[in-house]
Order: sequence, then C-alpha cells, then structure tokens
Amino acid sequence: MQVELQLNGEMNTFEASKTDSLLDVLRKNGYTGAKRGCDTGACGFCTVIVDDEPRNSCVIPAAKADGSTVETIEGLGSQTDLHPVQEAFVNHSALQCGFCIPGMIMRSKALLEENPSPSRAEIREGLSDNLCRCTGYEKIIDAVEDVAGSAAGQSGDSAVVTDGGGPE
Amino acid sequence: MSTPDDTDDGDEPERLDGGVVDLQDPDESLDLGTSLSDRENITTDQEKYDARKIVTGEARYTADYRDRFPELAEARIVRSDIPHGRVIDIDTSGAEEMDGVHAVITPWDDVVPDTLYSPSGQSYPEPSPWDTRVLREHVRFVGDPIAAVAAEDRDTADRAARKLAVEYEEYDAVFDIWEATRPDAPRLFDDSEVENETTGADYERNLESHFEGELGNPERVFEATGDEQILETEWETPYQSHCVPEPHTSIVYTDEDDRYTVITATQVPYHTRRQLSHVFDVPIRDVRVVKPRVGAGFGSKQEMVIEPIALALHRKAGLPVKLECTRQEEFYAIRNRHPMALQFKTAVDEDGNPRAMDLYVRENSGAYGTHGMTVASNVGTKAMPLYPRVPHMRFAGDVVHTNLPMGAAQRGYGAPQGMFVVEAHLDELARRLGEDPVEYRKRHAVREGDTDRAAAILKDGDRFERTIRSCGIRECIERGADAIGYDDIDQPGAEHLHRGVGMALCAQGSGVAGKELGAAQLKMNEDGSFILQVGGVDVGSGNDTMFTQIAAETLGCEPDDIVVKSSDTDIAPFDYGAYASSTTYISGRAVQKAAADARERLLEWGGRLLEEPAENLATGGGEVYSEETGASVTLEEIGYESIYGDEDREHIMGQGHHATDESPPPFGAQFLTAVVDEETGEYEIEEMVFAADCGVAINPPLVEGQIEGGVHMSYEFATSGTLSFDGEGNPETLGFRQYGMPRPDEQPPIESIIVETHEPTGPFGAKSIGELPTNGVPPALSNAIRDAVGVRLTSLPIEAEDVKAALDEQPD
Repeated sequence: MQVELQLNGEMNTFEASKTDSLLDVLRKNGYTGAKRGCDTGACGFCTVIVDDEPRNSCVIPAAKADGSTVETIEGLGSQTDLHPVQEAFVNHSALQCGFCIPGMIMRSKALLEENPSPSRAEIREGLSDNLCRCTGYEKIIDAVEDVAGSAAGQSGDSAVVTDGGGPE
Repeated sequence: MSTPDDTDDGDEPERLDGGVVDLQDPDESLDLGTSLSDRENITTDQEKYDARKIVTGEARYTADYRDRFPELAEARIVRSDIPHGRVIDIDTSGAEEMDGVHAVITPWDDVVPDTLYSPSGQSYPEPSPWDTRVLREHVRFVGDPIAAVAAEDRDTADRAARKLAVEYEEYDAVFDIWEATRPDAPRLFDDSEVENETTGADYERNLESHFEGELGNPERVFEATGDEQILETEWETPYQSHCVPEPHTSIVYTDEDDRYTVITATQVPYHTRRQLSHVFDVPIRDVRVVKPRVGAGFGSKQEMVIEPIALALHRKAGLPVKLECTRQEEFYAIRNRHPMALQFKTAVDEDGNPRAMDLYVRENSGAYGTHGMTVASNVGTKAMPLYPRVPHMRFAGDVVHTNLPMGAAQRGYGAPQGMFVVEAHLDELARRLGEDPVEYRKRHAVREGDTDRAAAILKDGDRFERTIRSCGIRECIERGADAIGYDDIDQPGAEHLHRGVGMALCAQGSGVAGKELGAAQLKMNEDGSFILQVGGVDVGSGNDTMFTQIAAETLGCEPDDIVVKSSDTDIAPFDYGAYASSTTYISGRAVQKAAADARERLLEWGGRLLEEPAENLATGGGEVYSEETGASVTLEEIGYESIYGDEDREHIMGQGHHATDESPPPFGAQFLTAVVDEETGEYEIEEMVFAADCGVAINPPLVEGQIEGGVHMSYEFATSGTLSFDGEGNPETLGFRQYGMPRPDEQPPIESIIVETHEPTGPFGAKSIGELPTNGVPPALSNAIRDAVGVRLTSLPIEAEDVKAALDEQPD
C-alpha cells in the first residue's frame, strides 16, 4: 500500500506493508533519526510530531498515518544552524549516547509549543513519556528550561520555527 | 576548584617508586610543566564531539547503516521456552518453505560452530569459563538461543521464527542459589561442557567458582573479640536490567576482499574480533569489527552477545544480515546485574575502631558464567579498599549457577553490591557505638598515602598492592554534607512523617590493574590539524571528546583541530575496550603519549623553520614558538613545510600506548534525604547529592553527566528495578512497563559535585568517573531510613511494604 505524508513540510508518498508502523516507514526511507527502542510505545525514542501532537511512531500503523502531517528531527535545524531546542541540548551537554535524544528533542519542542514557559516540575511531567538511561535527566531538564527562559525573554517564537529539511 | 583536604597528606615523590610496573616516570614530561591555570583544554566544557550529529538525528547507530545494503536480510533468534532441557529436534520445514526466508540455522547446522567459548569481552584467555556455544542443544534458561532465521524483512523473519517446531527433553531445573549447590540439585554443566574453568570450580555442585583471600589473621581477631564488639549482618540484592537504550544490534557482511565485516553495537571491538576468529576458526586478519555510534552499553555490550549468530546466518544466507534484538529479549534473554546474597562481619576494639572485616558473597551467576567470578570478586576488592587500615580482612565468594538469565558486567561490576553491604553495615556499626555515622567513616576511611592491600586480597604476592596517591574522600564528605544540609535536617510537620539523612562512601578503579592496553596514533594534516586513530571506545560517555582535549592540550592546538577515528579494528590501534572505567585513564594516557610523540616532531620542524634549537621551543595557540625570542611558526606552516618542503619531508605522526599495573580508585560520597511514613512504610527520596573525586575532571559537564546518570541507575537499583519470574523460571518482566526504570517525573533531583584531586599517574591528573556514582544510593537510602525511623533495610529494592514490615517488627 501507499502512505502519503506531509513530512517536514513536503508531500511524500511511501510504499508500506500492512504490518509497517509509521516508524518503519520513516526508517526504511532514510529518516533514521527516530530510533527503535521498544516497539511498544513505552520508551519514547521514536517520538515524532504527528498533526501537532508528539507521538510514539512505533505504535502508529502506517495506514493510520496516511494523510497526516509529520515532523521529524530531520526537519529541525542542521549541524551548522541548530534549532534552539537542539542548541540548548548541545550547550548543556544534555546528551550522552544520544539514542533517546531525537525523540526527547521532538517531545521537548512539542512541550514548549504547548507551554512556552513550563516550570521544572512541568518539564519533568511533560517529558515523562520519554526515557533516558544516560543523563539522569538533570541536564535535559536544564536545557528545556533554558529554551523556555530565553523564549520568555524574547517576544518572538524562535522555539517553534522549522525549516522543512530532509535526510541527506 | 577545591584544595586538598588538610587531613590528607601532601604529595610525597618518594612514594612514586615501589614495585610498580610502568610507573609513570614519563608523567612529568607529558604534563609539559603546565600548571592547572595554564591549561587551555583541560577542565573545560568543550562541546561533546558528537553532539551536533546526535541532536540533528544524523548520528549513525548500527541499525541506521541499513541503507548501505540494498539486499539486507533481517534476522530473528528463536529462544528456549523451557528453563532446562535438551533440544531433541527442530522442524525447520515450515519456515524454510516460506517465501522470502533466506536462512534457518540450528545447533546442528554446518555453518554453526560447536566450539566452547566465553562471550565475556575480557582479555585472553578470558577469566570466565568457556561454557557457551553459538546455538544451544542443552538449554539452561528460558531465553537460551537455539535457532535463528534470516529473511527479506523483519516481519517475514518473525513469522518464520514462529514456525519452527522445537522438541525438548525436559530436565529438572533449579532457581535458588542455596538449593543449587546441594548434592541432589539438577546439574547444569557436565564435565565435557566447560573448558577454561575458573578458580575453585565444582560443576557437580553447580559451582562456577569458589574463591577466598585473607589479610592478617581475621579468624584469631574474631575469636579474641567479645560478642558485643562483633556485628554480623546479612544482605540481598536483585537482578537489575541494563535498560540499554539501543538494543543489541549487528550487521555482518563479507567485503570485496572476502573478509568478514561486523558493524556492531559493542564496547569491545578487539575482543569481539579475536573471539569471532576463535569461534569460527578464521584468521584474525580476516575479521573486521567496526563500532559506529553506540546507544550505550553499561556492560551489556562488554560481551559478544549476538555477533556469532549474525555471522552464522550471514554464512548461510550469503547476504548481508542485520540482527537487531527486541526490547523483550533485552529484558529476559540478554544480560543483567548478578543477584547476590551477602554476609558481613566486623570486630571492633574497645575504642570502637574496626579491627577485622569478613565479607562473604554468594552470587547467582544464572545459566552461564560470563563475568561470574570476576564480578563476585569485585564485590570485596572494590568496597573493602574504602577502609585499607583495617588490619585483618577476609573475603570469600561462591559463584553459583541456576536456570535463570545470566548475569554479566553491569556498570559498577560488583561494587554496588559491595558498597551496599559495607557502607550500610558501617553506618549501623557507628550508630550502635553511639557515634555519628558520617564522622565515624570519615575517621576510618582511606587516606592519601595509604597502602591498600584489600584491592589485591585475592591475588598472590604483592604485585597488586597499591599506594593511594590521590584521595579527596574527606572533601567529598564535607561538601556533600554541606549541600544536603547534614547538620540541619528539619522534621516534617506531620507526626507520622520522619525525615532521615543517609551517606555512603564509594570507590571504584580506573581500569583492570595489570590487564589493560590502550593505543593511539596521530597523523598531521597540512593545515595543522590531526587525525587521531584510537582504539578507545566511546559508547556515549564522551571519550572521543576527552581524547581531543588531551591531544590538543599536549600538541598546543584546539580540540576542534583533532578528528577522531576510533574503534575500527582495521584502522584504530588496539584497545581492550570500554569497561572497568578504563578509557580516560588508560586510553587517554595512550593519546597523551601519542600526542607527546608528535609534539617532539613539531618542535623539531619548528626549530628548523625558526632556526632555533628545539629545546627553546614550546607549543601553544596553534603555534610552535620560541620562549627565548618570541618568534613563532604556525602548525599549518609546519604542516605544509613538513609534507611539501624542498630540503626534507616527513609525515608528522605520533604513537603511544599505555599499559600499567596501576588502577587508582576514584572516590565519592553519596548523600540523600528521605521522608518516611511510619504508618505505611512509604518513603520519598527528596534530594540526592553525589560528590566525586575523579582526579582532574577533564570535561566537567561530561563528568557531571556521568555522575547524574550513575546516580539514576543506583536510585533504580535501590528503589524500583528488578526482574521477576514465576516458579518455573518464566520471565514476568518483559518491557519497560513492568520494569521500574525511573521516568523524568519519578527521578528525584540529583546534585553533582566535583572535588578535584591530582592523580599523578593519570592523564593530566585524571582518574575514572564512569562507574563510581553507580554505587551509593542503596546504602545511603538504607542509612536514611534507619536515621528516620530506626529500622534497617537489608534487601533491595527497598519497597514500602518492606519498611512497614520492619517497622512492625520493631519493639515498642
């Protein structure tokens, strides 16, 4: 079957099998930023934004995703022009092995769009669907808090800009 | 940064001799005479080397290499669903007839070797028994691999795997470590099923190993000491899952030179290469192991877990094969922290000073012996060195097989269990002596200048006795106590709630003493940058970053001028791998030596260009400059001149390797506060503080990350994580939902404190940090609950019902 996605700002049509999840479709087509951690929607490593909601793409059947708008880590900034959330994760050393980070960043971005100035407790709550084994979460929370702080300091919405890129 | 504690002695150079192999007399020349304040790239928050590709999703982990292979078969392992028995027959016809199935392998297949080996990623010959085969006829736990399938996609492989019909002859099974050594217990290993047995093995009693060691004469001390001065305690610790983010994944193919290439999520590329070569009887030169980005290891990837199955499937399928484990397999079939039962006994003199310690561990090795004896031995050899002045010590252990999943290396490697027992016991001892438990341990704990024989208690001779050359443990205690407010703990308003504070000291090592080798090579580019080829394995903790800082500091350039090419056995020099907290101390020193070697050539070429003797010259700021005249030449000018010069040409390179008997312990103090409800036994940890002495922290934010991540795992071990099984050995914990890994909203805040000391044998004064902070929460929590409500919890994880039961038993 074919699955049509508005992916990072561009319309794409992908081949998919009946048993494929949205994560399978993304990864088979070179969008490998989302990681396979559990295939049961329990770890959050595959988090992408589907129709403005952060979702675990491993438990969304490809057929159900047909026609939706999907935003992945590939659609945020590039290595030389990072999105503010990505930049905060880099500046706070809020990453180690990095396997959970694309999902964590997508979740954080969605959280900040929903609530631009969350408290530390709200950040913990907002990220609670995403696991990280390396960092003890402290620096991740620092990073998200930092983005919230700088967004609050500015009047603009720099934390929600996307540039619609794709994987190389 | 802090100054050395005044209770610790200062540096005494004469300590730097005595009987140590490769003791770092080159250290001072490698330090280049720079004081800390002159250093440009050490103790700096250099951006993590791989940070940008991680946050953009461009970092490639093994499974992300799938797009390099147009025809990539996907694989699935078929595992035993009985705890003990023999596979009599496997009907593969249903699977083999399916469209899209490329290969089905069983233990009897020609491509599957029946060689006995140890999967442990350890040096050769492994100090673990050779008791494992690639696929198993004799199955010993629910989860043992018995067959595997490769097919055109994951779905087909899964369906084919389910079509395999396995027939077993079932045997009795044993799940309890005390029953397993009785004469009537079912035996897991026949004599013909193990080679390279470890110390004290007795497989008739399911005993993988028995070991013991002694210092002084503890037996006589215990006999001569009155009962009131002896304290005996018993403890238990459970399985803990690594919860490794990236499941074990390997891609195996044959390259155009007819050599096997294995892209794999591993901590031990070189050990894996050697082991694959031995198991499959192919020359080492015909195997290449490549480590891409790895989604962490924590010890679960200090193993050759699935690589042989992937290789066997590749041989049969004739196609590149990717084998990616499921999360369910990670929980029930791969590796875990070993469960243990422990007993500890101390004798004190009439002034309350500890005179003798006796520690016994009985470890559940599970179905196989990988890291069995070595983890159990580290229980004592990591924890007892906290108190090296205790004159009489005994340490013994039994390592026992059961029909449950195998233990293996897990961050801490026996030290968390050891620290739980020693630190909670000494807290109890101090309280019974009427002493403040923190002051008591502060008085008796290890000091700089101590001779530590406890780390070598299981070794013959004195080769591995060590001098403690750096120790900031008292400053860790003081700063941790300040941060938690130790002297000023308020009680909550409600009468049934009680706040307690607990502290635990921690120690670890920096590599395996006498069993490490790291090597590195630097090659200069024309533009003054360098390619660093290094065996040291970064599985996420930031070693590649640390390498660039050490190389840049030595060469006088920027960390960004160093390109790291690591952990590919065709390209990088040898390294034992990322384990035992070795990478900064061992591989980092190798990089420092390689950089010093290259620096000599920079000075030589700088001297030619500046027409000055090399001994007048120094490097820094991307230049070689004259300390006499101030004249300078850039590294770029040297790069071009050395390669394209008229008179002479040279490719400026540097090589270094490091091997040593040293393994200096980093030290730490874990503090936490907990509020306990005396009516329900429920408790809440409010705040955790960990102060660490890892020598010089080369990259403080990355060190803090190690502390916070280690404390997270330690918190889980103390409070929530464990695996459960039914009475037949069937796993009941099959995913994150059943397992208690703390989520962001469940993890109490962690404060990390770095206490700087200078370790004279380490690169720029560094020791290790990776494992140290995994050790402290269980004893600190037991101590805090004792402080709050007066009961002693001795079994992990500590649950509300355990606290309630202990409170109910308490005399009024």
